[in-house]
Amino acid sequence: MSRLVRSELLKLRTTRTFLGITLAALGLIALAAGVGAAASTYGPSDPSPGRDLLEAGGIAQPFSLVLGVLAVSTEFRHGTITPSLLTVPRRARLVIAKLIAHGVAGLVLGLVAFGLAAALAFPILSARGISSDLGFEAAFEVLAGGLACLVLLAAIGVGVGAIVRNQVGAVMVALGWWIVVEPLLAAIPKVGDSIAKYGIDGAVNATSATSLGAEAELGQVAGGLLLLAYAAIFAAVGIAVLRQRDVTA
Amino acid sequence: MSAIAVSNLSKRFGDTLAVDDLSFTVDPGRIVGFLGPNGAGKTTTLRALLGLIRPSAGSATIEGVAYVDLAEPTATVGAVLDGGSLHPGRSGRNHLRSLAAAAGVSDARADELLTLVSLGDAADRRAGSYSLGMRQRLGLATALLGDPRVLILDEPANGLDPQGIRWLRDFLRGLAGEGRAILVSSHVLAEVAQTADDVVVIHRGRSVAQATMAELMAQRGDGVRVAGPDTARLTELLEAGGASVQPGTDGAILVADRTGEQVGRVIAEHAVVVSELTPAGQSLEDVFFELTGSGEEGPS
Repeated sequence: MSRLVRSELLKLRTTRTFLGITLAALGLIALAAGVGAAASTYGPSDPSPGRDLLEAGGIAQPFSLVLGVLAVSTEFRHGTITPSLLTVPRRARLVIAKLIAHGVAGLVLGLVAFGLAAALAFPILSARGISSDLGFEAAFEVLAGGLACLVLLAAIGVGVGAIVRNQVGAVMVALGWWIVVEPLLAAIPKVGDSIAKYGIDGAVNATSATSLGAEAELGQVAGGLLLLAYAAIFAAVGIAVLRQRDVTA
Repeated sequence: MSAIAVSNLSKRFGDTLAVDDLSFTVDPGRIVGFLGPNGAGKTTTLRALLGLIRPSAGSATIEGVAYVDLAEPTATVGAVLDGGSLHPGRSGRNHLRSLAAAAGVSDARADELLTLVSLGDAADRRAGSYSLGMRQRLGLATALLGDPRVLILDEPANGLDPQGIRWLRDFLRGLAGEGRAILVSSHVLAEVAQTADDVVVIHRGRSVAQATMAELMAQRGDGVRVAGPDTARLTELLEAGGASVQPGTDGAILVADRTGEQVGRVIAEHAVVVSELTPAGQSLEDVFFELTGSGEEGPS
């Protein structure tokens, strides 16, 4: 399996798409953390400035999801799924290798993302005479939750990309559900609250322990387990769908 | 045991029966030409053999085992389908290395193969800029990564120039000489005529002929076409000698059972004037069209 993961990591980092998506994520994080640190004002009821700005690393979430979606769907788009499956004929093994590789990529992206947010924001806060100290516990909560989100969103993406073969369609479905459809459904009376709490978005928010609207959310561990369950379901369905499919291009 | 065994294979896509109860085998050291017009079911058969599509009925095995159950797939079978599918933004070298990594093959071996297929100079360019011939050659390098005992090539001559086709022919001959079994598909009989030992011809998913290349060539038949002012007299002379002569177009005659040299001797002996003396047997294409009936359907 380790050689398959190495192969997937090599595939991942040898196209410009990967570089573009990663740089876009880091650029946005730099902007949010930098501008936030330079311009935000913090009242006594607000979260600690350090925590608020560290959370900018979470901007990488949709990017990790999209990288995951592209793992299988790009192979179908360019037909490279054929040589890939000739080398690794057992489709479950190929998907598991992609899950691990994109999990690793999500982890590395997260470390760089949160590191970048802290490296930019904290010196600027200090220069303004604002304490950036958020305490070990909060830092651990944001970092551990943030990394878990990136890894699990990548896994959900890999599953969606294996289910929806069309590359653009797969990206639209994954991002659209999370960012557009779920928030709309959450506005429905009665069931809306449950969707907001137990949907992908609710699970992501609970896991990453964002300081916004925390009262309606699951706890961080419960949220993480729910997100893990989503990732497992999407990965399992993705593997099952791919195993049934005739690969004709 | 046969290197490749297809037995009673059928594949249905919706209402279309792409492959219909097809059976054939390929033995080690043989090159088998897998022929049929476009859409005959060749690619579907090869994809079923490689575990990419599920047969509706029957089986296709490599060394007695389904492709997905092979312990070392890349060391057993090398295949090129669709002229080597590539991500346009990835270089040929990185494409090959990513597959080599999965197959447990070293980067050094991948680089060596790039040189072998004459892609060394272009290997670091983005594959989107490659010509079809270059893609085919990169596909061939991919197929050879694991030094396989069986090779399966789908229309490998597509996009190759005449030198490339000649290079491919010699290359495949060399590989078969090392005892490998090779199955190579084509929609042009002449393309594999000088390479293949055996042929399997399919049409509409069904096998219409399986023979050695020599047997197929024998079906071409002999014959000589003679034109000139004295063909009537020549006809009498030839028929007197027991030959079967048919009238042809424009006053020419067709001699079915004599070689050009035999007819030439009669002409010289009797000082007959002729303006033309040409072999008139069926061409390989004629044989192919006859087998597949594809001459009548117009271009596909």
